Amino acid sequence: MSTPTLRTDEPASALLGTLAAQGATGALSTETGIVYLAAGHVVHVESAVTPDLGDLLTHSGALAPDGWWEAIDQAGRRCSVGRQLVDSGHLAAGALELCHLGALFDAAYFVLAHDGPALRFRPGAAHWLGAVRSVPVDTVLRESRRRRELLHRIWPEPAVDRAPLARVPGPDAADLPARRGRTLAQVNGVRTAAQIATALACRTFHTLVELRRLAAAGLVAPVAPLTSGPSSAPSPAPASAPAIVSAEPGPTPRPLAPDEPDTALLRRLLHALEAL
Amino acid sequence: MPGIDESLLEAMRLPGARGASVVDWISGLALGAVGDAPGGDAEATAAETAELARLATESGVLALTGGDDATGETAGDGPGGPSGKEPPVQDLIITNADSYHLLRFVTTTFDSTVFVHLWLDRSEGNLALARIRLAEMADRLVLG
Repeated sequence: MSTPTLRTDEPASALLGTLAAQGATGALSTETGIVYLAAGHVVHVESAVTPDLGDLLTHSGALAPDGWWEAIDQAGRRCSVGRQLVDSGHLAAGALELCHLGALFDAAYFVLAHDGPALRFRPGAAHWLGAVRSVPVDTVLRESRRRRELLHRIWPEPAVDRAPLARVPGPDAADLPARRGRTLAQVNGVRTAAQIATALACRTFHTLVELRRLAAAGLVAPVAPLTSGPSSAPSPAPASAPAIVSAEPGPTPRPLAPDEPDTALLRRLLHALEAL
Repeated sequence: MPGIDESLLEAMRLPGARGASVVDWISGLALGAVGDAPGGDAEATAAETAELARLATESGVLALTGGDDATGETAGDGPGGPSGKEPPVQDLIITNADSYHLLRFVTTTFDSTVFVHLWLDRSEGNLALARIRLAEMADRLVLG
């Protein structure tokens, strides 16, 4: 028996705390994503700006797309895609847990760190991935706050997280750690952090950490600075300079609304519909 | 096939094991933890060991010297797998008067930045054995 869908203006974090105390099961939507609960624990989180589990596994080559779709075909309807991936031998149990937790906390940061209002709660709604590993609500909330502070300590310029990013000419970019170098190679004057994360099949928060470190080192700057933030770079970047170093010319610059997260969201909708 | 908890419990069966955890070295989050943590604070332990692990893995001088590791983009053309997936450092070993800390980086094809941390009692633990077993455990965790 399900209660009617809530309509609330409570902050998502406060409502999550209440739902956890009630041992609730269902899906809580905010403007930025969906948190799935089972028996008061977080079992999955989805955000339009973070790669989902399927993206992380298939784009990295850890799992062939056929294996992913086969698991969704066979187990989506009964909400146990995760178990199907392990039982069919496509993925080790530990690998699934690591990737799932990585995606869960990544999405949770973007859904919960800037605590917006909860839009609605659908009691009883389950995610088609099924139970992989559940996390207490408190842990997820605390970690999201900690991540926000971590980014702030690295470089207190939030524009890096949302605006298209360009390389700053001048500073020597050699000798970067491999991960930071791969991230820098994707900066082309057009892509945003979320698009760079998608291109690398990396978690978005982990990409933000690298990008903020690159910004702190004066190697990367937002293309259209929203405010005149602190500039440690000796040579300021021209505000609307096209890509300075880029393997491919890339598409023409678009307005701020990124399109790749939208395709990610649509793909996720498709998965969800097919799993019904 | 072992998951995170089964793997950590397996590590805890090593002689002298006090605590074991799986930690993300970029975010500083413990994805799983069993047993005790120094000072009783698993979160602080994860955050501090993650910072150490990050410095080691980003260090140019501690990395494998075999290839041309000067350019970030071409580093790590190791055998098999896409470049850069293999961590440049395998283990970190810290000793003090009463314990050993052993950190083993976990290699995955997908994006993960994790290591396994094993805290061992110095008088009961066998560092060489623990290092071999922890490496095997880290492989089984992601390969099954």
